[in-house]
Amino acid sequence: MSGFGRPPRPWSGTPKVVARAVGESGVPTPPRGLRPVHSLVYQALLTRRYLTSKIMPMLAIVSVMLSSALVLVAWSIMGGFLTMLLEVGRKMEGDVTINWPTAGFAYSDDLIARLEKDELVAGAAPMIETFGMVTLPDDRAIGMRIKGIDARFAKVSDFEQQVWWRPVAKPEPRDTRGRDPRLPAQDNADASFRINQELLEQLYANGLRLGRSDPRTGQFKPGVVPGIEAMGFSVRKPEGYYQPAYSVSRRTTDGSFKDIPGFAPLHNLTIRVIPMDAKGRDMSLFVSRTLPVVNEYRTGLFEADKNTVLMDLGELQRMLSMNEQQRLGDAPVDPYAISGEGPGERVGQREVIGTEPARVTTVLVKARPGVEAETLRQRVIEIYAGFARAHEGKVPDLETARGRMISTWERSLSTFIGAVKKETAMVVGMLLFMSLVCAVLILCIFWAMVSEKTKDIGILRAIGASRGGVAWLWLRYGLVIGVVGAALGLGLGSTIVWNINPIHEWMGEQLGISIWDPSVYYFPTIPNIVESRKATLVVVSAIVCAVLGALIPALKAAFMDPVRALRFE
Amino acid sequence: MTSLDTHPMTNTSQVDLSSSPLLEASNLHKTYRLGRVGVPVLRGVDIQVHAGEWVAILGASGSGKSTLLHLLGGLDRPDTQISLPISCSDCGLAMIGIRPKACPECGGAVDPLRAATTMPWDGYIRFRDQDLGRMSVGTLDRYRNESVGFVFQFYHLLPELNVVENALLPAMARYGRLGFFLRRQELRAKAAELLASFGLSHRLTHRPAELSGGERQRVAIARALINDPPVVLADEPTGNLDRKTGQAILDAMVQHRASTGRAMVMVTHDQDVAARADRVIRLEDGRVAASDT
Repeated sequence: MSGFGRPPRPWSGTPKVVARAVGESGVPTPPRGLRPVHSLVYQALLTRRYLTSKIMPMLAIVSVMLSSALVLVAWSIMGGFLTMLLEVGRKMEGDVTINWPTAGFAYSDDLIARLEKDELVAGAAPMIETFGMVTLPDDRAIGMRIKGIDARFAKVSDFEQQVWWRPVAKPEPRDTRGRDPRLPAQDNADASFRINQELLEQLYANGLRLGRSDPRTGQFKPGVVPGIEAMGFSVRKPEGYYQPAYSVSRRTTDGSFKDIPGFAPLHNLTIRVIPMDAKGRDMSLFVSRTLPVVNEYRTGLFEADKNTVLMDLGELQRMLSMNEQQRLGDAPVDPYAISGEGPGERVGQREVIGTEPARVTTVLVKARPGVEAETLRQRVIEIYAGFARAHEGKVPDLETARGRMISTWERSLSTFIGAVKKETAMVVGMLLFMSLVCAVLILCIFWAMVSEKTKDIGILRAIGASRGGVAWLWLRYGLVIGVVGAALGLGLGSTIVWNINPIHEWMGEQLGISIWDPSVYYFPTIPNIVESRKATLVVVSAIVCAVLGALIPALKAAFMDPVRALRFE
Repeated sequence: MTSLDTHPMTNTSQVDLSSSPLLEASNLHKTYRLGRVGVPVLRGVDIQVHAGEWVAILGASGSGKSTLLHLLGGLDRPDTQISLPISCSDCGLAMIGIRPKACPECGGAVDPLRAATTMPWDGYIRFRDQDLGRMSVGTLDRYRNESVGFVFQFYHLLPELNVVENALLPAMARYGRLGFFLRRQELRAKAAELLASFGLSHRLTHRPAELSGGERQRVAIARALINDPPVVLADEPTGNLDRKTGQAILDAMVQHRASTGRAMVMVTHDQDVAARADRVIRLEDGRVAASDT
C-alpha cells in the first residue's frame, strides 16, 4: 500500500485493489503520514471551513459585533449612571434617612440609641440640613445647601475618604504620571508641585473634626468643609485629581481686581442662615458667621460637590437656634424685676418655664452588609413608631408625615430615577430593535450563502444527509457567527466603556466635541462599568438574533429538492 | 453487443438471476412541470437489478436515464398520479398534463370526453422487498446513505473539504458525532485504503480544486463506496472525462465490482461502455425500448 510520505506513483489505470466483499469488516493499519481527520460530524467540519473560506460570514460576524457592542455601550453608560447614583447616595448619607426639614425634631440621641440596638443597623448619625447664602472669598454670594454633622457622620458615610486634602500614598487610577499634588515628593524638583505632607495631615485632621485649633490660644474654632467644586478654586484634571488654582481674582472695594491664592483652606466663607423655631416659624432675619475653610470634600456627585457646605453640627444648631434652649413663659414681664444672682442676674427677663431640647432635621441610618435599603426602611419605620410613642406630642408622628418622613436615597430621587429608567429602557429598546435589523441582515447573508451552496446541499442530501442534518448545518453556522460576533462585540463594547472618559476627553481636545456635562449628568466622569448581568444579556440576545436570522435559510436548505439542487448552476 | 461471457472484466458467476432482485421498479412515471406544462420523462419503466449485476442504461439525451437513476436511488419520488394523455382530434397532437380548450398547435377542438384525467399509480420501487414509496423521509435518507452509492458525471465534491474528508462524508452522515468518534480509526483506514486503491495516496490532503478531473471522479467513487453499499448508481461517470481517463475510471469501477460483488447501475450514452455491462437497458422517450444481455 502506498504511503503518504513516498514520492507519487504515476497512475497506470490498473489500480491494485484490496479485495473486500460486501459486509466484511477489518481494521487495516492506517498508512503512516496520514493527517488525521477531525472527529467531527460533517456539520462541524463544514461550519469551520465555510467560516474561514468566505467573506460573507465575516460580514455577518462584523454585523453582530457592532450591534452587540452598541447595545452594551449604551446600556452600560445609561444603566451605570443610575447604579453610580445609588451607590454614591449610600456613601454620602447611608441607606435610610429620617427627615423632618426646617423645624427639625428633638431627642435625636434617643432615636439613634434605639436604632443602633437593632441587628439590621450598622450605625446612625444626626444631621441638620438647611439652605443658606454663602459668600465666597472672591465675593461671589451663592445659595447652597448647609449641612451640620458631627463625628458620628463617619459611621454612615465614607466621609473619611471623601475629605480631599489629605496625604495619599497611591495616585488616582488614571494619574499614571503621578501628578497629584497630594502625593509625596520624589525629589526637590518635584517638591515644588506637591503640598507639604505635614500640612496635608493637619488639614485632614481639621477636616474630620470640622474645625481647627487657634494657634495662639489652642481653642477649637469651628470651620467649614465645602464641596470641592463649590468654590471653584480647585481645578479637576482629566487624570482624576484636583489642582489648586495658582490664583483667583477678587474684586476690591474700589472696583478693581486683585489676585488671591487659589488654595481653598487659606480662606474663609461667610454663612448666612435663617433660624426657625420648633414650629417652623422664623425667629429672626438671618444669622451670619464667617468661618475658616479647613478642607474640601468630594463625593463624586457633582451636584453635591458643587452646592454643599459641611460644618460642625453644634455650631449650625446655635446659628439656627436649634440647640438646647430655655423655654420662656408668656406672662407679662415687670421691666424692673430682677432675677438670678451674681453673674446670672438679669433685669426684666421673662420667666424660664422649661428647656427646649436640641433639634436636628435628619437622622441618617446605615444598613449592615447584605441588608437591602427597603428592608432597613421598614425596620426603621417600626423603630421610629416606638420612638414617637415614647415622645408623644413632642416629635412628629408618621401619620402627620404621611409616609414621607422615612425614605431611602432611591425613593427621594424616585421622580428623577424613574425618568432616567424610562429613558434607559427606551434607548435600549431602540438598540435592541436595531439588533433585529442585524438579524434580518444575517438572514439576507445566509439566504445568499444557501443559494451559493445549493449544489453542496444537493450533494449532502444525495449521500444521505437528513433534512434535519442540513438544517442544523446552517443553524450551527448561525450559532457560531452569533457566538464569535457576540464575543468580539463584548470585547469591543467593554473596551469602549472602560475607556469612555479618555475617549471623551480626546474628542473634546481634538474635535471640540464635549457631550458629558457634569452639571447635567451629576457626575464629573461618564460611568465606565460593565455589569456582568448586562453583558450576559447582550451576548445571549446577539446569539439568539444570529440563530433566528439563520433559521429561514436553514429551513430553505433543508427542504430543497435534491435533484434540482444538484442541477443548480 | 459484446457477450458477457467473453468480456474479460465481467464476472458473471457473482450474478444470481434466479434469486429475487436486489432492486426493482415497476411502472415508473415521472413528469416535470415547466410552468403550466407537464413534461413526461418516464412513462412506465420497469427495471430489475440483481445482487452483483451490472446494468447499463443506455439512451439519448432526454430519454429519462438520469431521472430513472434518481428514482432508484431515492433522490426523487415517482408520480403518484399518472396523467392520461389526450389528443387533438384534428392534428392528433398528444398532450399530457394540460387541459386546453383548443389545441395549441392547430387550434382545433380537444375532445371533451377525453379531457386529461389521472389515475393512481400502481407501481413500486423495492429494495430488498422494502417499498421505497412507503418509506418516510428519514428512512429514505438512510437508504441513500447505506444502501446506495451515487457517482455523478460532474463529481459533485464539496470544495471546502479535502480528499479524505470528501470520501468520509457519507460515513459522517451515517454515524453521527459519537459514532464517528468511536469508529474514526477504522473509518480513516478504510478511506485511506479506498483512496490508495485508486492511486490517490499522495493527494489525501488536497482540495478538489487541486485535482484533475480523473482524480476528482476517483474521490467521488471512493465516497460512494465508503459505506459499503450493495448498489452503486453511476450517472455517466466518464461523461466529463477524456477517453483514456474515462477508460481508467471505468476499469477501476469494474474491478471493484468484481472483487466485492456489488451491483451497479450505470447510466451512459456510450455504446462501448454499455457493452461491458452484464445487461443493457435502452430507454427511448421515457420507455424501455430493449433490454439486452
